[in-house]
Amino acid sequence: MSVTADDLGSTIALDGGRKVRGNLTQARIRWMVLALVLGFGLVGGRLVQLGMVVPDTTIEGQARDAITATRPPILDRNGLEMAVDIRVPSLYAEPRRIIDVEEAVRKIRTVLPDLSEPWLRDRLTGDKGFVWVQRELSPAIEDRIMRLGIPGVEFLTESKRFYPGMSEASHILGSTNVDNQGIAGIERHMDGENVALLQDLGLARGNALAPVELSVDMRVQHVMHEQLVDAMSRYQAIAAAGVMVDIHTGEVIALASLPDFDPNQPATALVKDSFNRITAGIFEPGSIFKTVTLAGALSSGAVSITDQFDARFGIRFGRFTIDDFHGKHRILSLPEVYKYSSNIGTIRVMQAMGKEAFRQFLTSMGFDARVPFELPEMRLPTVPKELSEVGAATASFGHGLSVSPLHMVAAYAAFVNGGNYVPPTLYRRDQAEAEQFYRRVITERASAQIRYLMRLNALEGSGSQMNKAALGYRIGGKTGTAEKVVDGRYSASKVTNFFGSAFPLDNPRYAMVIMVDEPKRENPQSGTTAGWNAGAVTGRIVQRVAPMLGIAPDFSPLIDEQLVPPELR
Amino acid sequence: MIRNLNIFLIFSSVLMLSGVYALKFAIENTASERTALIALIDSQEGDLSLLKADEAVLNQPGHIDPIVKRHQLALAIEPVKQEQFGSFTAIPMRPAKPNSAAMDSLFLSLEAGIDPIDAILELEGIE
Repeated sequence: MSVTADDLGSTIALDGGRKVRGNLTQARIRWMVLALVLGFGLVGGRLVQLGMVVPDTTIEGQARDAITATRPPILDRNGLEMAVDIRVPSLYAEPRRIIDVEEAVRKIRTVLPDLSEPWLRDRLTGDKGFVWVQRELSPAIEDRIMRLGIPGVEFLTESKRFYPGMSEASHILGSTNVDNQGIAGIERHMDGENVALLQDLGLARGNALAPVELSVDMRVQHVMHEQLVDAMSRYQAIAAAGVMVDIHTGEVIALASLPDFDPNQPATALVKDSFNRITAGIFEPGSIFKTVTLAGALSSGAVSITDQFDARFGIRFGRFTIDDFHGKHRILSLPEVYKYSSNIGTIRVMQAMGKEAFRQFLTSMGFDARVPFELPEMRLPTVPKELSEVGAATASFGHGLSVSPLHMVAAYAAFVNGGNYVPPTLYRRDQAEAEQFYRRVITERASAQIRYLMRLNALEGSGSQMNKAALGYRIGGKTGTAEKVVDGRYSASKVTNFFGSAFPLDNPRYAMVIMVDEPKRENPQSGTTAGWNAGAVTGRIVQRVAPMLGIAPDFSPLIDEQLVPPELR
Repeated sequence: MIRNLNIFLIFSSVLMLSGVYALKFAIENTASERTALIALIDSQEGDLSLLKADEAVLNQPGHIDPIVKRHQLALAIEPVKQEQFGSFTAIPMRPAKPNSAAMDSLFLSLEAGIDPIDAILELEGIE
């Protein structure tokens, strides 16, 4: 091999050239393979990278679904809409897609001149993917902005809450914020229950949500609201409120508090004094509390309906003497104590019962805690834990303790329905369901006696103003005129007036508490005590709503005679 | 042989290519139709929600009551008074049935030729 190589040196050179070419080809192929591998590797790597990117579907920190989510419609007990969702366009921008910010700012401001120019410029500049410009616009404005043809400026359809009843049921419904979340009233309570969960899951879209049925009757609600508005102007009061419940089921038929707000403009809810006085207001109830004292005493058996009480002289506690407002200053029978609203008589009744037993009765009536109720706006009542002699005496006629009107209406409902406390509710509830919540607080006999006393007060006592308007509807009730504390002393000119009532008393179905705060005289012939204002309002409301609630008037004197307990016949 | 196969393959690939593109464009077309329909449904749902809200407003007692008050004079209507309600006990009882036995006996006696009225008239002297 080496000899051949020596002879044919050129062949070796030829072989080398071929080899070199072959090597070159192989090297090129290798480079190509490398280039292809790199190229495909690059593409593959990019694909993996893209696969890892989590797309940002949120809108300024919120899931898109939560914003377009709807809320269930709210209906009253007759199926009338109290709250519905409407679809409204909202304007948003994608700043990273906007080419000419100045032009976009100028054009948008031709349609929405209220937007501040620097704010809008700041909003549209930058590299963000989504910014709101203006939410909840009208379809007409949407049309005009779409005509401008600005790239990167788009609309999103949002759900907005609309309350067709305007301010009429404002305190029941509450309101929602711009993100359609409940911020007050039953709307907030609903969110606490299940709507929030549905929205989180992105299921609450379309109109698939089952409507929520409330116990409220919008006709009664309208009448109550209208009469309270009338009372505000008629008596120049600073506030008025009312609540009506079905005594057997605890369903709230109407609940209104003035001054109120328009839930369609949630900002108006922030106005001072527009809080819900029925649930979140606590007041000294005054004489309507005497019904509580008498019910407790009659039920305990400490006093009977035929007992007599010495109301000849005021009762002294150290330096204080408690006397009657329009004192008869004689021996009064128990019905007379109620009819003449005698403070002295009521103290004697409470003393016969014993202050410990009386305090215990207040606890059993739920006056120590919030009323179990759906609305989030609640305040704790203030009832002293331990009652002193004088404390128990004033408490017996509704002074020295503060409870909400809702407490009072729940108590009145229990007193007339046969003695069962049933917590009020804003949702539909039938008799069988309600009976599971029943808690006996007074005896059936005491309940019948309270019905008689309430009717007696309407016929002969402080409720006669009220009875005049609601003649035939067998309504009975008790007035309460609580003097307000001004500069540390009770003021005779500033009073909070209540009227607690129930009707029709031969077969009671509804209980109501009406409150008028700081009323003035309607005319020189009238007064400022509760019978003149809160009582008269109650009468006018009952006159209008009783036919709606299916209660026919009956003028037969036999009905009132049958209410009289056998002992007094 | 190979040449024919190649020609066949080229033609079939061109055919499949055009088929795939046709399918792609058809799908894109359908997708845009779907988007348009969704947008239409959305806008109609929006209109529907507004109409429902309108209806709810018009049905509110708070909306109807002022209208009634405005036309109270023209229509001569007033809130109902308690006295206007009747009761079942106020409805008069059905009138007493005619005494059919007495009538029967009267007709029987007339047929028999005895007229009780005639007897009375004769007694009174009226003829």
